[in-house]
Amino acid sequence: MQVLQSDAPLIVYVDVKSPYAFVAIRPTLALERELGLKFDWRPLTLDIPSYLGSAEKKKGKVVSSKGRSPRTWNAIRYSYRDARRYAERQGLMLKGTEKIWDSRLPNIGILWVMQRAREKLGDYFEAVYPPFWRRELDIEDIAVVEACLQHAGVPSDGFAEYARGEGLALHDALQPQFHPHGIYGVPTYVLGDEILFGREHIPYLRWALSGRQGPPPDIAYELA
Amino acid sequence: MLTVYVDFKSPAAYLAIAPTLELAERLNLSIDWKPFRAIEREVPKLGKEETVGESHRRVRADSQRALAVKYAAHQGIALKFPPKPGSADLALGVLAGIEGDPLPFIRGAFNAYWEAHADLDDMAVVHALLIESGVRFEGSLADARSVLEIAQDQAEEAGIVGVPAYVIEDQLFVGREHLPWIEELARNAATP
Repeated sequence: MQVLQSDAPLIVYVDVKSPYAFVAIRPTLALERELGLKFDWRPLTLDIPSYLGSAEKKKGKVVSSKGRSPRTWNAIRYSYRDARRYAERQGLMLKGTEKIWDSRLPNIGILWVMQRAREKLGDYFEAVYPPFWRRELDIEDIAVVEACLQHAGVPSDGFAEYARGEGLALHDALQPQFHPHGIYGVPTYVLGDEILFGREHIPYLRWALSGRQGPPPDIAYELA
Repeated sequence: MLTVYVDFKSPAAYLAIAPTLELAERLNLSIDWKPFRAIEREVPKLGKEETVGESHRRVRADSQRALAVKYAAHQGIALKFPPKPGSADLALGVLAGIEGDPLPFIRGAFNAYWEAHADLDDMAVVHALLIESGVRFEGSLADARSVLEIAQDQAEEAGIVGVPAYVIEDQLFVGREHLPWIEELARNAATP
């Protein structure tokens, strides 16, 4: 799988553990429905400690932190508050995570659903994202991810093997391609040779995917 | 009343001016302009051996610049980054001390930085901008940097983390992408 190439009109990279991706899922699915298109959804598993330092919380208190300045902490707190208020507008709850999760399994789940039951992708996202962000899912437990697949109506037989074999290989082959191709975060939208980070580009994507009529719109977080 | 924090050397703040003014005009909203010294970094050079974090920061900086250039073009602006991000501290300190409408100075400072890559930390440059803009500034240019330090502390206390930052109805937003929500809050506040 080549990171910038697809037969679909748009590639969308997401990560289950990203609050930005969480609040982008429903608006992006809505855009897909609105335009009558099928986007190519793919996982990008963020390596958060490499650029934001790391931290662990227990009962809402930071119990360990590495490589985070006060300014970085302020920016992270603002980002969570910001994502939370937009999630609430979508009727969703977003609780700050207590550790940096390994999201490879549910992210490999995205590849599985795209291959096996594409029409259930929205259901899978609904089965994973909202409960994870309510702190109800241990996404590092394969049985939990399998249960999400089943809840979404996606066959889960063979997923464990896929997650150790073909799916993991596909996932791992994507990861080192991101930085060399200009991709660093989620959600990232790949539209031809344009790489757009953030759901603020949805108005532009709508304009570009529906014929580029009139002047291009500015960035905006559209209101739910 | 909408409070807007800007830094002249920030491309995001520069590109926010036109849509912010358009919103304010449409809603008959007054703006309290305030300075905030943001961090603008050079795009890191591609190293022979990069850590994942270094690579991430370089790719992110490159991407942010490319997107700024793209959306600037939509506004008819040919955005050109200076070879190195300059300091705008003196001009920002002056902004904190302007009495009356600072908009002519703000426009002049943004244009000077982005069109001529002017040094907004230079006394002569900032003095010329004050004269050209015709705004009322009765403070001392020599004191402007310390005025900025006070304003910066106040802004950080208020939770500002970047520019353009908007404060309306006790809500803080960073980035012009929030203008739809800001508009909604302004409309609700204006409704009896």
